[in-house]
Amino acid sequence: MIDEQARLLSNREVAADFYLARLNAPYIAARIEPGQFVNIEVGAGVDPLLRIPLSVSGVEREAGIIEVLYEEVGPKTRALSQVGPDAVLPTLGPLGKGFVSPPEGTRVVLVGGGIGVPPLMYWGLELRQQTHQTALLVGARTANKHLPSELLELAADAVLLATDDGSLGHAGLVTDLLQHELAEKGPCAVYCCGPHGMMQAVAAICLEAQVPCQVSLEEYMACGIGICVGCAVELATAKGDYGRYARVCVDGPAFDARQIKWGNACPT
Amino acid sequence: MGQRMPDLSIDFAGVQLRNPVLLASGTCNYGQELLPLTDFARLGGLVTKTITPQPRGGNPPQRIVETPAGMLNSIGLQNPGLEAFVEKQWPLLASLDAQIVVNIAGFAVEEFGQMAASLEALEGIAALEVNISCPNVEAGGDNFATRPQTAAAAITAVRSRTQRPVIAKLTPNVTDIAEIARAVVDAGADAVSLINTLVGMAIDVERRRPVLGGVTGGLSGPAIRPVALAMVWKVAQAVAVPVMGIGGITTASDVLEFMVAGASAVQVGTASFANPNAGVEIVEDLHAYCDERGIDRIASLVGSLR
Repeated sequence: MIDEQARLLSNREVAADFYLARLNAPYIAARIEPGQFVNIEVGAGVDPLLRIPLSVSGVEREAGIIEVLYEEVGPKTRALSQVGPDAVLPTLGPLGKGFVSPPEGTRVVLVGGGIGVPPLMYWGLELRQQTHQTALLVGARTANKHLPSELLELAADAVLLATDDGSLGHAGLVTDLLQHELAEKGPCAVYCCGPHGMMQAVAAICLEAQVPCQVSLEEYMACGIGICVGCAVELATAKGDYGRYARVCVDGPAFDARQIKWGNACPT
Repeated sequence: MGQRMPDLSIDFAGVQLRNPVLLASGTCNYGQELLPLTDFARLGGLVTKTITPQPRGGNPPQRIVETPAGMLNSIGLQNPGLEAFVEKQWPLLASLDAQIVVNIAGFAVEEFGQMAASLEALEGIAALEVNISCPNVEAGGDNFATRPQTAAAAITAVRSRTQRPVIAKLTPNVTDIAEIARAVVDAGADAVSLINTLVGMAIDVERRRPVLGGVTGGLSGPAIRPVALAMVWKVAQAVAVPVMGIGGITTASDVLEFMVAGASAVQVGTASFANPNAGVEIVEDLHAYCDERGIDRIASLVGSLR
């Protein structure tokens, strides 16, 4: 892990308020694994004060490039969306623990919601290269909150979309798609990232169906490296090294869904 | 230009610091996570995250929120407890080439004394910093740090059980911080450090709920720096012991402000969350400043306000 002087190559809007930034960061690009993240400094001043933690959505190792996808939701992501090419952004990485690989030959179902999709895209690309059969199920409020299909299709053999308002794909929840997938196609390994309630529902479905499920959690964090102990998530049973709360930034962000005490975590 | 290398060293209550910059309690954990990102041998030292007698799980999330030029935290003193600290965290800290100040707290007067006594045999601790900003369970949950009598009682308990320098860490959430400072010095504190965080709050208007799981939290970062500076200046005039300045320090120029106001050393806290190497970069800039201005000894600046 280093604080790399990453050079912004491009930063463009790819869906409503969703941006894709490409950064030249050879050290991180050579090492970062799916599910790990980076913590990017947007400006050297005191506003915004803290960095933005972002999952990596794609890597070009040989070219030394990492990609991050983010949604403009507040002042800090707005500031990042306005940074132009050639800006140098101090970027800490690789951070955290990524996804654990499924057994060889396992069919994989990736379940994403909203801006939870990026880590699944990098993971899907890797899994496809390892010749796992992959499906990507994505839920969003409405059609223009879905990432473009040319991006999503890179990450899986099959992409199925759902929208709350029925404007694209299945009218309803992404968990409906997952239920159907499990009923029709049988055993698989599930990887999930999205809003808290969605992950909680996916975890419950997987537990019921007795399929393994890993989730990539998001929690408000200051440092991204474990020193502030701010990004706490309550564990279901086993105590971690650090009491009944684990730190999302160093103990995760990827967790086995059974490790998490879903009821008491912070709703998003 | 100075002919020789400027001398950044400070004698802080008998603790020899190679420079006046320490990492603040709760912002460097127990050192391990920062090893790949900063060089402790270039810092004055570090202050551990608060240790309590028993392990503490901490507060429910959300624990952190950014605010203008600062942040609120409601961690709840999550820590592994004294026994696990000695067994698991201390060996690494003891191996670092830096002065290690161990920050302790208790929830009853006697717990402060027990913490000090239990650490007395551990070799290599430079000083104890006493976090008295905790609820006193024997007195209806009132914070020790907010009354001269209870603040003094906690420090007396520590003083009577240790030979090491005792630094009392003061809260700004009081009417007259100088009165508290005098009380802890009378109780035997060798130094004071200030300020701890200011009580603050953020509300999610859509949900009409507090943002933080702990409802209120502690405000830190550049937003509190002028408040901290005024309090350091006030306390430095009120007591004869060394003062450690804390509160939103982000640059070398901030450090110099605190030193001129009367701080012999400082702690860098929230700045490390944005830049894990902030402390070392500040030391480099202090060096350059003294060099440019022909300041031979940085100690000569302490309390030099005209």
